[in-house]
Amino acid sequence: MANRTSAAQRPNGSTQGKICQFKLVLLGESAVGKSSLVLRFVKGQFHEYQESTIGAAFLTQTVCLDDTTVKFEIWDTAGQERYHSLAPMYYRGAQAAIVVYDITNQDTFARAKTWVKELQRQASPNIVIALAGNKQDLANKRMVEYEEAQAHAEENGLLFMETSAKTAMNVNDIFLAIAKKLPKNEQTTGPGGSGQGRRLVEGDSGAKAAGNCCK
Amino acid sequence: MNEEDLIRRSSEEREKIFRRYERGREEGAEIDPWEDPSFEVYHATDRYGFIHDKRLSSKVDPQEAKRNQIELERVKKWLKMLKSWNSSVSKEKLHKRIYKGIPNSLRPQVWCKLLNLEKIKSENKGTYAEMTRLARLHSTDARQIDSDVNRQFREHIIYRERYGIKQQSLYNVLTAYAMYNSEVGYCQGMSGLAGVLLMYMDEEDAFWATHVLLTGQKYMMHGLYKEGFPKLTRFLAHHDRILHKFMPKLKKHFDKHGLDSILYSLKWFFVCFVERVPFSLCLRIWDIYLLDGERVITAMAFTILKLHKRNITKLHDMDSIVHFIQVKLYKDFMYDDDTVIQSLEKTIDELKRSKLDHPGPPLKDEIPSRPFGVLMQPSFEQIVGRRAEKFTEKEQTTNEIVTMRREEARDALEKESRESQLSVGDSCGLAGSKFSFDPSIDDASSLLDCQHTGSRRSLADTSVTSTADLSVFSTITRSQAHENSLDTHSNISESSVGAISSVGSGIMQSGSIQKQPLSSHSTPRATPHNPSPDVVRIYVPYSPTDTPTVSPQNGDVIHKSPPTSFPEGNKIRIRIDNDDFPTPLVEHGKIKHFRIEHHEIDLK
Repeated sequence: MANRTSAAQRPNGSTQGKICQFKLVLLGESAVGKSSLVLRFVKGQFHEYQESTIGAAFLTQTVCLDDTTVKFEIWDTAGQERYHSLAPMYYRGAQAAIVVYDITNQDTFARAKTWVKELQRQASPNIVIALAGNKQDLANKRMVEYEEAQAHAEENGLLFMETSAKTAMNVNDIFLAIAKKLPKNEQTTGPGGSGQGRRLVEGDSGAKAAGNCCK
Repeated sequence: MNEEDLIRRSSEEREKIFRRYERGREEGAEIDPWEDPSFEVYHATDRYGFIHDKRLSSKVDPQEAKRNQIELERVKKWLKMLKSWNSSVSKEKLHKRIYKGIPNSLRPQVWCKLLNLEKIKSENKGTYAEMTRLARLHSTDARQIDSDVNRQFREHIIYRERYGIKQQSLYNVLTAYAMYNSEVGYCQGMSGLAGVLLMYMDEEDAFWATHVLLTGQKYMMHGLYKEGFPKLTRFLAHHDRILHKFMPKLKKHFDKHGLDSILYSLKWFFVCFVERVPFSLCLRIWDIYLLDGERVITAMAFTILKLHKRNITKLHDMDSIVHFIQVKLYKDFMYDDDTVIQSLEKTIDELKRSKLDHPGPPLKDEIPSRPFGVLMQPSFEQIVGRRAEKFTEKEQTTNEIVTMRREEARDALEKESRESQLSVGDSCGLAGSKFSFDPSIDDASSLLDCQHTGSRRSLADTSVTSTADLSVFSTITRSQAHENSLDTHSNISESSVGAISSVGSGIMQSGSIQKQPLSSHSTPRATPHNPSPDVVRIYVPYSPTDTPTVSPQNGDVIHKSPPTSFPEGNKIRIRIDNDDFPTPLVEHGKIKHFRIEHHEIDLK
C-alpha cells in the first residue's frame, strides 16, 4: 500500500495540504461497544443490536486538523477471547489503538488494562493508545469510576475519555484527540512503519475522503 | 478480590443470567427498555420472519407470485418424497430437487432428514436435558452467550423480544452445547448457526443439528470454531489457491490492496453465508450444504467472487471492497437466487474437474479429541472469564500462520513488481519463456454472463458496465505504469508472474492453456455491445534448443496469422472446457448464448 504515497504536486504545480494515513485498531472485551463506536464515528449511526464481529471488520474515516487531513484505517476486532490469537495480525504496525471497556462492567475494565499491557509489550513502540470508557449513557449503572480509569490512563500515558456510541458523546473527540497526538512528519513510511503516518496527497485515494471532511 | 470471591462472583453472575432466561418475559422479568425494540409486525415482516425498516410493498411482485406458485407445486412432490424417504428416494432426484430449493414450509422436516437427526436423537436419549442441567451448574460461557443472544437476528420476529421463547431456546442450545462439546465450548459465530437452525426446528433438534454440523464428516465445523481455528486457515489457503488458479487478476487486485481473504470471507466459512448474502439465498445454500457438505462452502465462496469480479475490480481501496462483499451483497446480491445456485452447481463441477473442490481430509487437530458430554473441570481463568497471559501453542501457530499469509501476499506482490520490470524487457520480442496476449481482468464476462442467464439487471446496464470496464482497465494500466514503472504492455508479463508466484500449487504449469473470454479490451470496437472474442492464453515451455512459435488465437478473430509450420511432431492442443463462460452475443438488444462448437483444436 506504499503505492498510495505519491508526489506532493498537482498538475498545476501547487502543493496541497498534508494527508496522513494511520492504522488504528480497536481492542476490548466482547460487547463493550467497539463496533458501535466505529459505526458512530464512520457513519454517524447507532444500532441497538449491532451484530457481533466475527474476526475483524475494516473501515476508514477521515478527519481534518488545520491543514492536515488524517485518514484512519480502522480495524475493529472481535472481542471474544477465542479470537485473541488473530488480534496481533491487526495491531501489528498500527500507529494508534483504542482500548474500549464498558463503564457498567468492572471486568471489561480489567480486560482493557491487560490489552494496554499487551500493546505496550507487543505493538509498535510509538503507538498512541486511547482508553475509552464506553456506554456513558448508562452512567446510572456505572461500575467503573471515572477517576479510577483516568488515573490508570495517566500512569500509562494513555489518552482517556468516557464515550457513548449511542448518544455520540466524545466519539469524534476521541478520534480527533488521537489524530492530534499522532506525529505528522514530512517523511513517509511504508505500511507497518511505526510512529509515522503515510503521507498522501490529493489526487489519489485520499482525495475522495478529503472532500468529505471539514464540513 | 481473592480467588474465592472471584469464583463466587462468577457463579452468581451465571445464576443471574440463567434465571433471566428461565423467567423469560413472565412477570418480574428485568428487561432494560433498550433491550426490547418497538416494532411494527404486520406490514414489514417478510415470508421468512425478518422485519424490515420499510413497509413491504403491498403489491405482490408477479415474479415472486410465480415463484411461490412453483414452490406450492413442489410441496406436493416433496411430501410424497418425505413419506418414502428411506426407501425409494434416488440420489439424483434428491440432488435435483434440493438444488431447486426445498420449499420453505418443509425445511423443518427435510433438514432434519438430511442431518439424520432422528437416529442421533434416539441414540442419545436424555442427553440434551442432562447437558442443559450441567450448563445451569457449570457453564463458563453464560456471559458471552447472553451478550450474543441479545444481538443475534434481532430483526427476526422470533428473536425480537428479549428473553422471548426462541431467545430462551437459543441460549439453552448454546450453553448446553458448550458443555457437550467442551473442546469447542462456545465460539462467536455459533449463535448464527444455531440461530438459523432454530428458525426451523425445536430446541433439542437444533442442539443435535449443531452437533452434526460440528462433528459430522461432511461438515466438521468443529475445526473452524476450535481454539486456533485450524480448519479456517486450511480452507482459506485452499480458497486462495482457487483464486490464484482461476482468477489470478482478482487475486492480484486483492493483494495489491492488502486484502487478505480472511478479511472478507470469515462469515462465509464460519456461518455458511449468514448475513453475507440475502437470507432467501442463504437458505438455498444451506439446503445444498446440508446435502453435500463443506465443498459447497468452498464452491460458493468462489462463485460469489466469480459473479462479482467485475464490480470488485472497479473498487480501488480495501474499505470499499470489503464493504461491497460484506454489506452490499447482503442487502442485494444483484442476481436472482436461481441464477446463483445454477452458477454454484457449475462451479462445483468445475472445481471437481480441477480436483480443487475439496482441500482434503481434516487434519488431526481439526477432529474432536475429547469425549462428548463429559464434564470437564474448567480452569480458574475460564471460570472467572480472565484471559490467559500467554497464547497457547495452537493459538501461537494460528497467529503465525495468519501473519505469514499477509506477509507472503506482500512479498509475492513485491516480487511480482520486480519480475514484471524484468520481464517487460525480456518478452518484448515475444522471445521470453512464456507470454500471453491477455490485457484483461481474468475474464470480463462475469456480469454479461449473468445477464443472459436471466438476472434482474436490465440490458441497459450492460452497456454502462462494458463502457466503464474500458475505463477501469485504462485506470489500472495507468496506475501500474505509475507505480511499477511499467508501460501499457505490462500485462504481457502477467502470466510469467503468475507462474512464478504459484508456489507449490501446481497452478499455471508450462504447457497449459487457459481460455480467457473477455470483452472488447483487446480489440476495442465502436459499441460495447459487440460480441467479445475469446482469447486463448498459451503457455509454452521454454526450451532453448527448440523455441516454438506460437500464435495467440481467439474464438473468431485472429490477431496475428498463425505460423505456417511447426517443428516436426510439435503439436499444440487447445482445449476449451470452460463452458461456464459462453461468450454472449447481442442481437437486436437481446443477449444470445454463443457456444464453442469444438472444444479441442489441434494446431499442427
